[in-house]
Order: sequence, then structure tokens, then C-alpha cells
Amino acid sequence: MHDNSLKEPLRGLILNIQHFCTHDGPGIRTTVFLKGCSLRCKWCSNPESIHLKPELAHNAGKCIGEKQCGFCLKNVCPESAIYVVGSGDRPDDKVRINWDLCTNCGKCIPACPTNALYLFGEEMSVDQVLDEVEQDSAFYRESGGGMTVSGGECQLQPDFLAALLAGAHERGINTAIETASNVPWDFMEKVLAHVDIVLHDIKLTDPERHKKWCGVDNTRIRANLKRAYETFPDKKFIARTPLIPGVNDDEEHIRATLAFLKPHKNVTDYELLPYHRFGEGKYEFLGAIYEMQDFTSPDPETLKRLRAIIDEAFGRNG
Amino acid sequence: MPTQKKRIAINFGGGYVPGLNSVIAAAARAAAELGWETVGICDGFDSLLFPERYPDGAFLDLASLAPMSLDYSNGCILGTAAASDPFHVRAISPENIVEEVDRSDDLLRALSDEGIDAVISVAGSRALSILHKLSRKGLTTVCIPKSIENDIAATSLSFGFNSALSFLAEMLERARHAARSARRIGVVEVPGEFAGWLALQSGMAVCADAVLIPEIPYDLKKVAQKLKGKADRGQGFGLVVVAEGAKPLKAQSGPPKTADASLRVSLSPGATGEEGPHVIERSGRAAAEVSRELTRLTDLPGYPLVLSEIARGGVPTVVDRQLGLGYGAAAVRALKEGHSGVMVIFEPPDINFISLAEAINKVRAVPSDSEFLRIVRALGICLGD
Ligand code: SF4
Ligand code: SF4
Repeated sequence: MHDNSLKEPLRGLILNIQHFCTHDGPGIRTTVFLKGCSLRCKWCSNPESIHLKPELAHNAGKCIGEKQCGFCLKNVCPESAIYVVGSGDRPDDKVRINWDLCTNCGKCIPACPTNALYLFGEEMSVDQVLDEVEQDSAFYRESGGGMTVSGGECQLQPDFLAALLAGAHERGINTAIETASNVPWDFMEKVLAHVDIVLHDIKLTDPERHKKWCGVDNTRIRANLKRAYETFPDKKFIARTPLIPGVNDDEEHIRATLAFLKPHKNVTDYELLPYHRFGEGKYEFLGAIYEMQDFTSPDPETLKRLRAIIDEAFGRNG
Repeated sequence: MPTQKKRIAINFGGGYVPGLNSVIAAAARAAAELGWETVGICDGFDSLLFPERYPDGAFLDLASLAPMSLDYSNGCILGTAAASDPFHVRAISPENIVEEVDRSDDLLRALSDEGIDAVISVAGSRALSILHKLSRKGLTTVCIPKSIENDIAATSLSFGFNSALSFLAEMLERARHAARSARRIGVVEVPGEFAGWLALQSGMAVCADAVLIPEIPYDLKKVAQKLKGKADRGQGFGLVVVAEGAKPLKAQSGPPKTADASLRVSLSPGATGEEGPHVIERSGRAAAEVSRELTRLTDLPGYPLVLSEIARGGVPTVVDRQLGLGYGAAAVRALKEGHSGVMVIFEPPDINFISLAEAINKVRAVPSDSEFLRIVRALGICLGD
């Protein structure tokens, strides 16, 4: 089971803090990525965000190899998880990680002079995160932006997230979250009280299709969202679908989503995010090889047609 | 020699290779000679981890199947499971959260509930690490190395390599016929991410014009020179064998793979920097790139061809049949002699055992003083260097 006991003082597992984002809510925003996810979408292009634990990463591009360095090979790893291919006489003598043996203990990281070995996921306190976020506050004021917390699934760390959002409010920073909402309701209840804008995914409407593409069905997601719209009438909700050809780029899904959203006046928009193909097929990463299925980007015609349906539903014409 | 009666199980971890039935047959026969019972575990460890998917039970009774197990025409009578990792099993929690859980204890319990005393596992390099971990947790196990790339360093010959090699040589021969008739350059990609044995030995067997392996970064100008020389003599065609892991000498500073770098960063905060360190190229990349570049350099039309998964099917060679029988019998001998946590290895002329701890993490690449490289150079086959 995932570990939510990152308490005393409240610390969260942060994957990254990204400045000057323009796609994650209004204005210029700083996006804080929390690590850990409760879905396994087949188009996921950031597998480093999936597990709710720090994980070792090895950047072969930075590794200078056994002959020139090799520090990490010298009795550093308690699991003997670091090795080199061949006998040292090949041109590529970069080290490799046996991900099946690596326990993500991090002991090899200080040995590496080039930062080829590093950890994904850093524990940070609320104030540490907010101090960094606040550096950009001038831009938020100018642009009507703020802080967006994303993931993974940021609501898997509900206590930390609630404290982070409340802290941002105390510092006068507008807050948004990006969520897929596949978490227990009490997590959402804690978090949403402190959010100004909820950007939530509706990846698929049909439970079977959701299970096929995202790992679990969406019964709870739908129940959570409905309850959230009703419990927090003053919050602004924006629904989003990452549009992926062959998965959810059909009218049926768009219309079903609209039917679900429209009765709720606090759902102010429904956005389609055209999926962009990223990378070449599979990633070696962090203890597993993630096979990413091949998806294409939606063609502009489809996008236009589906967006027109949404515009019509929201009473925007032309 | 009285040995205590045992019940042993056999399974396969990792990708399929030709001729797995010979291992099953050998282990079952050798065990029967000792009065032991042998069962086969279906699909790696899946049938024990997900019993609900196997209404007929987790095991196949190998004694009753032994007569047909040496029939090579129908693949392997036990399934394999490419990603059977009991330490990371995808599950849905009661909270509807998808997570990967460690079910190795469940697995060990299921094996002991079934009265299994030992597991013989035919394993590729990744599965060896998993079996090593299981053996550290108390599982009695003997592994048999299996790899069509022959990259498991501890043994001189991994099961499956010889069959793949023979098949590839035959296909290369055909590719060359086709290239000659069409007056083109056939660029054939074969398996070998880190180790170039398959490319090197199959390319040598058919006297290809060039062989490109991961161990030797290639300069296509050298290959083009050779092909052009041939064309000048009226032979405007060629055959180039490329291992999937072969790399150019200087990685060309082409356009980055994702046009919009900012998009990439926002999608994957970990994948910052230019290297894009975590992206593995899809198979077929090597052949496509080499073919494109050679066409540019030589003005001869090239055609890329990828022989990857197809090398894993088919009927085993006599060498692999013997090796499979030898490994299967030796695995039972290892158990009889009280070994566990070991892998059987072929050290001609003997079959011996080494500990799994020593067997893992060692990839046998082609050394620069390899006799094969000497032969290939002597034959005038270009290595791109
Ligand atoms: S993080 Fe992994 S590779 Fe590094 S020392 Fe720990 S177990 Fe070894
Ligand atoms: S210490 Fe770092 S740079 Fe040196 S060999 Fe290891 S990973 Fe490469």
C-alpha cells in the first residue's frame, strides 16, 4: 500500500517544481509536481511520476564510464545493482543499473561526480516548496496566475497537499490542482477546501474502456466528481480530456462527458488537450521498462469538430 | 544411491526461444530416473500468482506429457511469461488505487503448499535476477541460461542462441539473393542490444559485406566505400547486417527527437536536458537509419529489414536440442547434489554450476581480441571501423 505517513513536520514527495507554466490554469503559473499516481494510463509519458516513493534514475548521457570514473562501482551499492557491460574494452563503458536488484536506497548518488545518478522524488516541507514558488509571485500578480499542483496524482498526499494549498493562500497565491480524482473521497474533501480552480481529467466515460486504458474503472472518479461539484458550489471546476486517437476521440465520449458536466453550473469549461506523441516507444526507467503504446496525435479536423460540440454546449458560437 | 523423493517444478521466465521442450523433457526424464515427480508451472509464475485465471490448475503433469514434449513443431508446452515478476505485481487496492505489490511471499507459500521442493527455471538475464532474489528468500532453485543473443557471460553457450543464429543465417542468405536480383542494399537488423554475437556470426556465415555491432561504433563512410568499390566492379548490390544496439561513431547532431522541447519538459519533468536519457529506441531504428544513410552515401537504393521476434520461433537446431537435454539433466543433477541458487553453465566439454550471485550482471560482449573479429576482418567483411 502506498505510504501517506510522510508526517512530522508535514513533508511531501515532490517530483519537480516548474516555473513559468502557461498550460496549467490561468496566467503564468508555477507547477509543483507531486510524485505518486493511482492510475496507469497506457499513454503515460512520465513514468517517473508513478510511484509514491523516491526512485533512482541513471542518466547515461552524463555517465562518463568505468574507465574514466567508475566510482559507483567501488563497493558503493549494497545490492550489487550497478554493473558495466563487457570487459571494459568496449567504447561504451557507461554503467548500468540492474533495476531488479536496486532498492532505491540512494547510497550511490553521492559517489557520482557528474550527477548521472540522481533521485526522482525529494521530500520537502510546505515552506520549502512555497519559498520556491513565491519567487515568481511578481509574475502571478501581473498575469493573474498562481500555483498549480499536479502529479502523478497530487491528491494521493492529501495532508501535505491541503497544507501546501492553505499555505499558498496565506501568502496570497492563487491555487489550482490538476487531478484525475481517483482517490478516496475524504482525501478530496480535505484538499478541495483550499483550491481555487480544480482542473480535473475525464479521460473516458465508459467504465470498461476506462479500465482498459487506465488500469481501473471510473466508477469512483465519477462519484467523487459529482460529490465535489455539489459539495463545493463556489469552486471553479474545469474538465479536461487528453485527446488520444483511437482511445477517446469520439463524439460519444465528448457528448457523454458534456451530459455529465452540464448540470453543474460550477463546471465552467471543458477543454480538449490534444495528445502529443512524446519519445519513441519505450523508456528504460526506474526499476522497470515501461512499454508505452504507440499513439498518434489527433488530427486538426477531429479536434475542430469535437471542440465545436463543446463550444455549442457552453453557448459559445464561432 | 537413495535420494529422498522430491517434487520439482519447471518454468520459463523471459522471452520465448526455440526448443524449450527439450529442457522439459530432459528434466522430467532425469527426475523420473531418480523417482522424483516433475510438474510444469504454466506461464512463468503467473499460474501460481493468479490461480483464478487457471481453472485447470497451476501445473501441467509432465510425466503424462513427456512423450510429446520432444515434439518441436508446436512451440513450448508450457507458456512463458515475459514480465513475470513476483516482486512487482500490478494490483488494484481496496481503495481502487493501482499499485505494484511485492507478492514473492505469496509465491513461495503457493509453492510450498503444492509440495514443491525445488524449481528449475529456464531464465533470460532479467529472470536470473528475479530468481536470485527468490533464492535469497529461501527458494531452492537451479537456473538454465537462455538467451538468443548469447549475452549471459557465465556460460559459453546460452540455450536458444544456436537456433536463432542458424535461422538468421538462412534469412540473410535470402535477403542477399533478393538484394542481388533487385540490385539494392539489404540492411538487415538482428537482435543484439549490448552484444553483437548474432550479427557477427550470422554475418560471417553468409559473408555479408558489412557487419555493425554494438561493440564497434560504426562510420558508414567506410561501409559506403566498400559498397561503392563493389558497384564499380559491376556488383551494385550488397548485404549489411546491423545489430539493434549498433551505434554510429559520432552520434550525428540531428534534430532533437521531440520537436518542441518545452512540451517535452512539461510532459515529463524528469526528462529534462538534451540527452533524453530514458528513451530507448524502438527496434527497427538501426536498420532504418543505416539504410537511409547508406542510400545517401552510395546512391544505391537500400531496403531495411528487421528480423527480431521472428528469430524466437521455429524448430531448434541439433546443437540446441543437445544443449537443452544436457542443461535439463544437469539441473536435476545439481538438485540431487544439494545445490541451490545456482545456474548450470556450459564450459566445454563440461556442464558445471555457478552461483546466481556470480551469474547476474555480467553481459558477454564481443571482446576486441575476439577470434571472430579476426576472421571477419580476414574475410574482408567491413566492420564500419
Ligand atoms: S540506489 Fe540502487 S543502485 Fe544505488 S546504491 Fe542503492 S540499491 Fe544500489
Ligand atoms: S559514478 Fe557516475 S559518472 Fe562515474 S561511472 Fe558511476 S554513474 Fe558514471
